[in-house]
This record gives sequence, C-alpha cells and structure tokens, in this order.
Amino acid sequence: MPPSICLRNFSRLSIDAAAHSSSASRLLHPRAAFFSTSSTRYATVAAKRKGSVLPPKKGVKSLNTKKSKKAAADAGKRPAQGERKAQRKRIVLSNNNALEVSSLKDLGKENVLSEQNEGKVMGIPGDTVDALRDVEAFKTTQGWSLFRRPAVLMRKEAVQLARLFKEVEDSAAGQQKRTIRRILSGDRKSGKSTLLLQGLTMGFLREWFVINLPEAQDIVSAHTEYAPLPDSQPTQYTQDEYTANLLQQIQKANGAFLLETKLSTTPNLPIPLPETATLKELVALGQANPEASWPVFVALWNELSQPGRPPILLAVDGLSHAMRNSEYLSADVKPVHAHDLTLIRHFIDHLSGAKKLPNGGLVLGSTSQSNSPKAAALDYSIEVAEARQKSPDDIPQWNPYKSVDARVMESLKDLHTDNKNFDVIKVGGLTKEEARAIMEYYAESGLLRHTVNDGFVTEKWSLAGMGNIGELERTSVRLRI
Amino acid sequence: MPPRLNTRTFARSIPLRSKPQVRWSARTATRFAPSQCRPYSDFTNSGANDRSKKIDAQPADHISEEAAKTAEIMGEQGPDMSKGTPVEEIVKGDKEAQDKLPKVMKDKLKAQGNAAPKGSRSYSTMTTQTGAGNGLDMGLVDVQAAIKTPQTPGLKFEMPTLPLPKDGHLKYRYDPVVEQVTNLIMQHGKKSVAQSNMALILQHLRTSPIPTINPAKPLLPGAPPPSHLPLNPILYLTLAIDSVAPLMRIRSQRGAAGGGVALQIPVPLGQRQRRRVAVEWILGAASKRRNVGSGKGSLAQRIAQEMVAVVEGRSGIWDRRNAIHKLGVAARANIVLPRKR
Repeated sequence: MPPSICLRNFSRLSIDAAAHSSSASRLLHPRAAFFSTSSTRYATVAAKRKGSVLPPKKGVKSLNTKKSKKAAADAGKRPAQGERKAQRKRIVLSNNNALEVSSLKDLGKENVLSEQNEGKVMGIPGDTVDALRDVEAFKTTQGWSLFRRPAVLMRKEAVQLARLFKEVEDSAAGQQKRTIRRILSGDRKSGKSTLLLQGLTMGFLREWFVINLPEAQDIVSAHTEYAPLPDSQPTQYTQDEYTANLLQQIQKANGAFLLETKLSTTPNLPIPLPETATLKELVALGQANPEASWPVFVALWNELSQPGRPPILLAVDGLSHAMRNSEYLSADVKPVHAHDLTLIRHFIDHLSGAKKLPNGGLVLGSTSQSNSPKAAALDYSIEVAEARQKSPDDIPQWNPYKSVDARVMESLKDLHTDNKNFDVIKVGGLTKEEARAIMEYYAESGLLRHTVNDGFVTEKWSLAGMGNIGELERTSVRLRI
Repeated sequence: MPPRLNTRTFARSIPLRSKPQVRWSARTATRFAPSQCRPYSDFTNSGANDRSKKIDAQPADHISEEAAKTAEIMGEQGPDMSKGTPVEEIVKGDKEAQDKLPKVMKDKLKAQGNAAPKGSRSYSTMTTQTGAGNGLDMGLVDVQAAIKTPQTPGLKFEMPTLPLPKDGHLKYRYDPVVEQVTNLIMQHGKKSVAQSNMALILQHLRTSPIPTINPAKPLLPGAPPPSHLPLNPILYLTLAIDSVAPLMRIRSQRGAAGGGVALQIPVPLGQRQRRRVAVEWILGAASKRRNVGSGKGSLAQRIAQEMVAVVEGRSGIWDRRNAIHKLGVAARANIVLPRKR
C-alpha cells in the first residue's frame, strides 16, 4: 500500500493548481515563450459590473448641477518664433495722428555744429534717421513713436558736444590731431542716450566714420558665442557673431564711404581678398564669414587709421556693463573680465587714451541709470571728475573698505588728472527756456493741450525735478503725473 | 410740387425728441449735477428744475408742421400747410378709424407697418443732460482767458485766477474718468502698476489710426468727429465708456413674482455706476482677447484695442448693452413708484 499522505499531496497539486502559488502552476504548465507579454495584453479586461458604484465620499459634492464648463479651444494661429520679441523691440519713429510742426527746421551739414541752435528743437533729416536706425541708436523706451517725425532739442550739453566736434575738425588741418574722450553721466531719464544719439547725428551729418556699440550689456551678457583669440596674452575672447553683426551695421551706416574707398594696405586675413577691393568688400567678407569677422574688423581699423581718412566717432551706451566681470567663463571656470573681450577692449583702449585715433575723433561713452550694474570704480571716477569741474578743493576720497577693480581704475585714471581730452559731461536738467522750447514743440505737435505760458512751464519744470527732460515728457505728454 | 409727406417720417413709430444741441465748452464747470427733483411732491415748484419750458420738453410738432419747418430751414418747398392733412395722418394711432379705411390704404398701412427701421432701436437710450453747459470735456485746459482778479495791495504773491484749474489739487490731478478706470484696472492694490497701464492705454489710443464710426452703433450725441479722437486720448476713452454704458441694471426680486420666479425690476444707474459697469464689461472683453505680444504692456494694449472696437461698433459689448435695455423696457411694468399723496 502506498503512503496516503503523498498521494493526497499529489492530487491537490493537480486539482486546484490555480489556487496555489505561481511557482506550482509554472511547474505544472510550462509555457513555451517566457518573455511574451501578448497574453496579458490580449487578455480581456474584466468589465466593471454595472451598478457597483461606490457610495459618495463624505464631504464631496456628488450632484453637479452646473453646466459643464469647457475651456474654449484656442485654435488661432500662434505668433511665429521671434515674432513676439520683434514686436516688443519694434522701433516706431512716426505717429500719423500727431500734427506736422511747420516751424521745425532740419539739421544739416552746415548748421549741425552751429551755436545758434542752442535751445531750439531741430528735426533729424531722413537719411540720418535711417543711419541712426541702422546703428540701433533709437531705444524703445524713448518717446519717438508719439511724434510725427524724429526731432531733438539742442540743449546746452548738445551744443557743448558740437563744440567738441568742431575742435576735432579744426585740429584735423594741423599736425596734432586730437582725440577727445567724454563720458556722459546724469540722472535717470535725463537724456543721456538721446544726447549720445545727437552725437551720432552730428557724426553722420559731418561725414565722420561712425561706430556705435548700441548696448554694452548685449556684449557682456553671454548671449553670443565667444572663442579665445589665438596668440593673446592674457587670453582675450572674440565674439564672432556679434562682430559680424556689428560689421553689418557699420556697412549700412557708412556705406557711401566704404564703397568709394579702396584698400591701401594688404590685410592679413584667413580668407583671400583681391588687392584692388573696396572697403565695402572687405566688410562684406567679415559679414559673410563670422569666423573671420574679428580679423576683418582689425583690418578695417588699420585702413581707417591711414592718413587722409575721416575722423572716427566711437560710441557705446550702458558703460557700466563694460566696467566689470562679464557673464562669460574662461577655460578654468573663472569669470572673464569685460576688458578681455576684444570689442570692449578696443573701445576701452581708446577711451582710456592707451591708443589714439590717428585721424582724430571722438570717443563717447554713456552711462545708464536704468538696468545698470554697480561699477564702483566707474562711479567714483565720474564723481571725482564732476567734483574737479565744480569745486576742485573738495575731491571725494575712495572708500578703502570697498574692493577696487584695478583694471577699471587704471583705464579711467585720466579722469583724476587735469587732462583736457578726457572728461565727463554732466547731463542735468533743462533750463526753463529749453523746457519752454520743447513744450512748445509738444503743443504744436498736438500732444499737449494747454497754452504754454511762463506759469505752466515753471509748474511742469518743477514737477519734472528741475527740468529732467524724461520726467517733463511724462508729465506733459504721457499724462502720467 | 414735392410730395407732401416725407415717407421716412412714417417709419418712426415713436416721435423722437429733438436732441438738445450740445455745445463744446472748453472748460466745464460741473460734470454732473445731481438733480434734486422730486417729481410727485413738488410739481408746483417752477424753479431750475422745471423743464416744461425747455425745447426738448415740448411735445413734438404735428408731422406736416414739422416737415414744413424742416423744409423752411433747409430752404426747400415743404408741404402746403393751407391744404388739409392727409387721411393717413388723421387715422394714425386710431385703430377704430383705421378699420374703416379703404382696402388699398389698409394694405399700405400694413406694409409700412409700425416697425422701427431696421438696425435702430425702438426706444431711446440717451439720457437727457440736466443743467446747461454740459458736454464732453475736450481736454483743453486753461485755454480760455481766466478772469483776472483785481490787484490787492499787501499780497506777497498774486491772487489765484479763477476758476481754479481742475488739475490744481494734488489728490485730484487726473481726470475723473481716468481716475475711475485706473482704480478698476488695479489689481492687488498696486496702483502705480495700474497707473502705468493707464498711461500705456492712453498712448495706444493716441497712436491708433482714426476710428471709423459705425452708424448702426451710434456714439453719444454731440461726439466730436472721429479725426479729433486720437489726439485727445482722454476724450477717446470717455467717449468709448460713456457710449456703451447702460442706463439701468436689472434687479431680481425673489419671491415677488410668485411661483419661484424672480421679479425683474429695472433700476436706474448714476453716471459713475454706469461707467463702472461699462469699464467692467470692457475689461472682461479685453481679458478674453488673445495675448499676441509679450512683455508688460500687453494688457494695456488689449484694453485699448477693446476701446477702439467699442468706438468702431465692432465690440460685442453693444449687444450686451442692448440686451439689458430691452429687458429693462420689457420689465418696466414692474417698477413700483412711490405712492402719490
């Protein structure tokens, strides 16, 4: 007789195999494909029994009487890539609703440096407006879109700037050609960028060669590619895309001069160029090949330094961005100082006086009070220069507890001396006569509905913080008091 | 001889009052003078509130007389008043007499019908402005020669010229409409953000092209020509808001109608309330608009676009206003006036 226990176990295995653990069933029914998932995929899902809804949870509203709210399908076309930004950055220079000002006279080559313009509003001629637009001199925050066409007030500081242009042009005849450097500083909305624009206008109208870096922040903010410059000690960095774009701006703004001027040197370029090429072809080469843009820029600069070429106007806005560490990192993950970027270094060398413009010229840098980082050495140097102009006995001292950026201090050291060529232009408030002139222009354009009399001018002048021109526009035109 | 009757006048079911001529005053002394009139208690009082002498309170002329007067003004030959008035005019509004007309005339009457012309409302939606010299503010400040006060000896400064400038007070330096809209735009108590949005709205209106007015959606009577609007953005804003502002709201009184239905009672709104409603409609419509740009000025841009749409008659807010007015007219029987003593 066989043992009963063993038999019982065996029979249990065969009958309720499903009820037992999977190991047992696997043993009993060996499957062919062990890695197949089809059986589970095609297995019919056990249908939920109807009427087996769980009772409502406590505190949850089960009866929904409200109409089902469907979000309206927004099927409209989205703006294309970059369109929104383009709209935000769009520069509008005309308002068809504004009235034409009949008494408005244009600036021209003859009268742009005249001192008779002081305190008058003058229109900018169309060609110059195009050139200014090419070098991105107009800003979105400025009020150009309110008026019929661009016009500027020739304020005291603008006439001061015109005088500098005249000095440089007068020195062009003699042997000693002058390079004058100025920093424009002032309060917020006091018209520094507009004064820089006026300087560029003068440069274009007097047929100078104009190079404008529209915003220093764009160069140092690490939004464009960079690469170390070969054979530079300490390492400098070029920005090929940015430089190619700058060359394009230069070509658009100074096209006539570039077209009629032939190469006089043999530039050392990675890409061959015919010997009889014009400067325009040289610049076009740099535009087309961004990797060669920096050598092209250097070659262009060498060409401009040859005798007989026009004076140069170098301008930059937002100077404090160029006076600190940039957002770029070096190979050993150290921040790159802005002065190590080739474009900024080129500008700073001319601003500090380390290099001179051989044909004479003007170097203008404008500080900004909105969206500007702290640059203590720059601020201190400007303070000192302003104090030297006003009260030479009372020069401020450097706060010894602040860390000093030695490179910036070194580049601005001429501001601490009696150097006539390097100074600060303080852009302050308008005088009441100037305020009256610009307010009459507002009224004639139809934007200010008020008689412009002494009382009214004085009221707005005081409201605008003693004639701050941006605030003046805000209180009288933009209806934000 | 021209036809004695202008056929267009037939189309009017309700004789419209001639609108009071709105004059442009450079400076308005009062914007809104609340009337102290209590219509049933002091009807004998013939003071400033007595409007019976006003031209707009006179009953409308008889139709032929009106046509004759109009023709006289226009320098044309009107209907001959010495002859009788046509039968149509006599039987107008007289159901019994109309039944006895010949069939041809009955058919004609039926064809013309009492229907209002298509596209125009059958009821007036304009309020009469109380007080003389009211009108839209043209935004000209201090252009009128102010009254010179005589020199008074012993004063350090000159006496102020009267009337005082309306923006002379620090706390009321903005136009009242601008102030109200600013406060309605404000979110989370951030007034300066609202103010800068308001400035952007005005700037957008200033640079927008001249609007084309839709005659089916008439603006306020006496509105300036559209070419004047962009150069005066505050007027533009005021016109957009005032044109679309409803005259009344509908109050639902529960339990008054019986059967679980709320009784709808039209309630008149004051000027500030009307503007508030209009601005809230405009803000609602603007927030539903697609945001096309980026950056901080987009809300202001959408609101300004909605304002332009209102003035051009493209906005859906006009339908909303008409619906409220229609409901108000339908429910006018529900108004319970104070009992006369």
